[in-house]
Order: sequence, then structure tokens, then C-alpha cells
Amino acid sequence: MLLGVAIYFLSGAVDELRVYQGATVAVYVVGIASIILLTGYSGQVSLGQGALLGVGGYAAALLRIELNAPIWLCFSIAILTAALAGALLGLAAARLSGPYLAGTTLALAVGLPSIANQFGFLGGEQGLLFDVGFPPLSFGEDFTQYKWFFWIASLATLIAIFWLQNVMRSRYGRSWKAVRGNDVAAELAGINLTRNKTLAFTLSAGLAGLSGALLAMTIGTVSPSAFPLALSFSLLTGAVLSGVTTLGGVMIGAVILVAVPDIAEAVASRFGSSEAVTNNLPGLLVSTLLILTVLFVPNGPVEQMRARREHRVNNKPS
Amino acid sequence: MIQLLNTTLIGLTSGAIYALMAMAIVLVWRSTRVINFAQAGLALASTYIGYEALQLFNNYWIALVCAMFAGAAISAFIEIAFMRVLLKHTSSGPIASVAPIIATLGLLGIVKALITMYWGGQDAVIKPPLSNTGFSIGTNTLVFSPMKLAIIGSVAVLVIVFSIIFQKTNIGLALRASAYAPEIARLAGVRVDFVRTLGWALSGASGAVAGLLLTSNGNGSFSPESLEFSLLLISGFIAAVIGGLDSLVGAVIGGIFLGLVTSFVLMYVSGSLFFIAPFVILLLVLFIRPQGIIGVKAGRRA
Repeated sequence: MLLGVAIYFLSGAVDELRVYQGATVAVYVVGIASIILLTGYSGQVSLGQGALLGVGGYAAALLRIELNAPIWLCFSIAILTAALAGALLGLAAARLSGPYLAGTTLALAVGLPSIANQFGFLGGEQGLLFDVGFPPLSFGEDFTQYKWFFWIASLATLIAIFWLQNVMRSRYGRSWKAVRGNDVAAELAGINLTRNKTLAFTLSAGLAGLSGALLAMTIGTVSPSAFPLALSFSLLTGAVLSGVTTLGGVMIGAVILVAVPDIAEAVASRFGSSEAVTNNLPGLLVSTLLILTVLFVPNGPVEQMRARREHRVNNKPS
Repeated sequence: MIQLLNTTLIGLTSGAIYALMAMAIVLVWRSTRVINFAQAGLALASTYIGYEALQLFNNYWIALVCAMFAGAAISAFIEIAFMRVLLKHTSSGPIASVAPIIATLGLLGIVKALITMYWGGQDAVIKPPLSNTGFSIGTNTLVFSPMKLAIIGSVAVLVIVFSIIFQKTNIGLALRASAYAPEIARLAGVRVDFVRTLGWALSGASGAVAGLLLTSNGNGSFSPESLEFSLLLISGFIAAVIGGLDSLVGAVIGGIFLGLVTSFVLMYVSGSLFFIAPFVILLLVLFIRPQGIIGVKAGRRA
């Protein structure tokens, strides 16, 4: 609630570009949360999350175009469709571990977008338009389109994160943690591994679908190029920067992913570097950050701080 | 009939290239138990170095050797400067199994960004040294060209050299020993760290040749954004999985098998399955024989 009020004032105070970036942050938060759920909580790696985002985006756009369904319905169907795809994938994934799963999902991320070119109704390379419509007039004259995006995205994100936090604290969340810790021991304790992993994959895919639909909304279209391999990688990077084992830092990764291109541009223009350098500096910075994080704070900044605090408390002379 | 022959020969050529990439992946997997997803970036970098060498020496084969050594050097450098530290840092904890995968992706990002900064903007072209028009049998012209024959030849030479290294030399023995049982190899006096670096270097060389031959198999032009290299990585990975991920022979057979199957699917089922066919093949292999067609060991299921 407090966060909602803060968002309201923020969206009034900052300019259009920032509002748009805010919406993008919300998209990334959901996407990263889906990876944290999958990797951090159930120990599976997906390099193909972008493909699932694509499934969600296309589902939402198709529904909007063919049936002119209301936005909330589009988002719900996007979640359901992606979750269904995730369940199928999860059945396969539960049999695979580590590098096998990573390679398989990577192959999916490369392969799936090309399906859009196969079927005419998916719009081919140009993709489909996804238009959520204008904001209701009752919000006033100066309520812009991007602000409307931002509101929808924030609301969806808040709901998703709240729901996810509850899931993590539920029976399922605890058994995922057990599986991640030691899958053999968890199985001996009566946890059905396959069902658990598949469920994690399904829920994660549902979140990814929501994120994809939100992404489609902010850019206005869905096309194969909107969900490239790079998107899957950025989401994974964001998840690592946030710390894959807790939801607490999920904002960190999302903000970094959105802010780095801006920072890079500022740096590049100060040093007057060439266009080739400017365009690739964000990628370089993000990848370097990723590697540094894996090397020095493998569990993410939030977890690191908590560990340090606990360490200090434990070592206090009594 | 002529179509059947064509399909087979095309499949063999691309299969040979996949086999090289699969060998690169297997070599790294054997030495450090990591799937090196940065291999795509390394192959791209080596191909660019080969391109520069071609400008300099104006001889394709010298360029190929240059690219090979450059690939080996970069790969060895990454192992020494980076993977060693990483594996020590993240040997335990919740993301121990995930960290190497993510780290190689980070490497891929860095390598790609650097390449694009340096060479980006325009498409580079490596002119194939041999004609790309096919041989003809009687009145029919095959798709199979001298260039494709040269590709298969180069791959064969490399595979033979590698298998001589592995089977006949002391270094090969050390490589096999430290892959099989690192602790025991160390006790027996094998310098496991050095041997690991060597494994990465060989892998880099193999990947570099795969990258350069891949561009020569097509029209010779390539750019940092080209999807071919991602696809090469995935095909190599799939071929390695078919071969059981632990065996070099398996990697070669897996590569050729994958090349043939893909080629036949594209020709006789649908040409637009180019991206999705490898994925389906991978899923089928993993479902039917998760230990690989060649492999015998169990234990890669969850």
C-alpha cells in the first residue's frame, strides 16, 4: 500500500522517459523473479526464459487482436499459456540436471522465436501489435500513455511478487529449498522430485509469461526480435546480480539492467568514444558485473549483507 | 538419387563442423566439468583473428593455422586467469552447480562486446579459397564443392591429430588420466592444473577451426551478431550430448549424425525447421538415451 502511494507520487514527479524506464524495471522484476524461483529455489537453470516470455507476449497479443479481450484477461491468459508451456518443458527438465538443462533451454531460446515465422497468424518477422488502449479519461488530461503502462506494470508486479513471497513460504517453497540443498536427502524425506521440479518450472513459466505480456505492452508489439537470446541472458544476469537465493534483492538486478545503458552512455559521451564503443559498453559492463558478482558475492548482495550481519551478531562478546 | 547424394554430402560437411565444435565442448567438459557456453564467442573471436591474418598473409591455410593458435591462446588464458579462480571460489553453496554456467555466459557477453567494439559495424568477408561450385557427374551438378571437400579434409586431419595426441603421447595419457581421476593423477605426478589448461587450449583450437570453416561453408561473410555462431554452439552441444559428453569419438560421431539428420529433415520434411530441428533432436536423445548414444555411464539424470 505504502509502495503504491510512493509509486503514484513518483510517476507524477518524473519525466516521461523515467516513467517508461520504471515500467521496464517492473517488467524485469517479474522476469527476474521467475528465474529466482526456478534457479534459486529449485536449483534448475534456464537459459531460455526469454522464449517463455515470448509465449506470454504472443498469447496476450493474439487474444487482444482476435477477440479484443480486456487487458486483465489478456494477462491472465498469457500467464496460463506460458505456465502450460512451462509444465511441458518442466516434465522434460525434471529429468535433466545442470549443464544438460542449460543446453536444452538454450536450444529452445534459439529455436522458439523462429516458430513465429512459420505460422501466418503470428505475424512473421514484423510480429503483432499489442495495444492496451488509452488510459481511462477519469485519470485526468495529463495522465500519459507511458504512465498508464507504468501503472499496469507496477500493479501486476506487486501482485506477482506478493503472491510469490507467499508461495516461497508455503509447503512447496520449503520443499524446493530442501531439493536444492540435497536432492537425494529430500527424496528420502518423501518429497516427489519430479513433481516438485515440474511445479517450480510451471510457476516460473507463468511469471515469465506475465513478464512477457508486460514487455509486449511497453514496447507495443510482439515479434521474434523482441524476445532474443540476449533477453534470456539479461534476465539471468539480473537474477545473479540480485542474488538468486532470495527475493529480497530483486529490484537491484532490474534497476541495474535498466540503468546501465544510461550510465554507459554518460561515460562514453564524456570520453567522446566512438559509436561502436558506446553501443557495446552496456553489454560489456553488465557481463563484467555478472562475472564479478559470481566471483565475489555468489549469493548476491542481499544475502551477503545478511550473512555478514549474522556473523557479527554471533561473534559479539557476551 | 542425385538429391539423396546431395543431402548426404551437405549433411556430412555441416556434420564435420559440428563435430569440431562438439570436440571443443567435450574437451572442456572432460578437463573441468564445465560446459563452456563462451565457446561461441571464442570461435567468433578466432574467426576474426583468422580474417585479420588473411588480410596480412593472403593465404587461407596460414590464416586457419593462425586462428587455431589464437583460439588456443585465448582459451588457455581464460582457464588460467578466470576459471581456476572461479571454481575455487564457488565450490560450495547453493549456486555451486549454476555458477560456472552463468560465468561462461558472462564471458560470452564480454567477448562478444569486445569483438563488436573492435570489428563491429561492417560485415567481414572471408573469401573461400576454393571454388564453391559443385562437382559434376555427367550432366548433373552436385552441391558438393571443392571447398566442402576441403572442409571435410581439414576436419579429418584435425581429428586424426587429436586422436594421435590422445592415444599415443604422454601428454595425451596425462589428459586422459586427469579427466578420469584428478586426485589419483595428481598423486601419480601429473600436473593436473597444467593439463587442464592444455585441455582448454586444445578445445579453443578446435572451436576456432570450427568457426572459420563454418564461415567458409556458407558465403564467407559473418558479423558479431550472426546467429550462425549461436547455432554452431548449440549444434556442438547437441552433438556432444549425443556422443555422451565424455568421449571424443562420441563427439565426432554425434556431430556427423546430427549433421546428416538435420540435413535430411530440412530436405525431406520442411526447410523452415532450421532452428527448431536441433532442439527436437536434442529432446529425443535426452528422452530415449540420456547417457548418449555412445556413452555407457549412467548418472546424468537428476
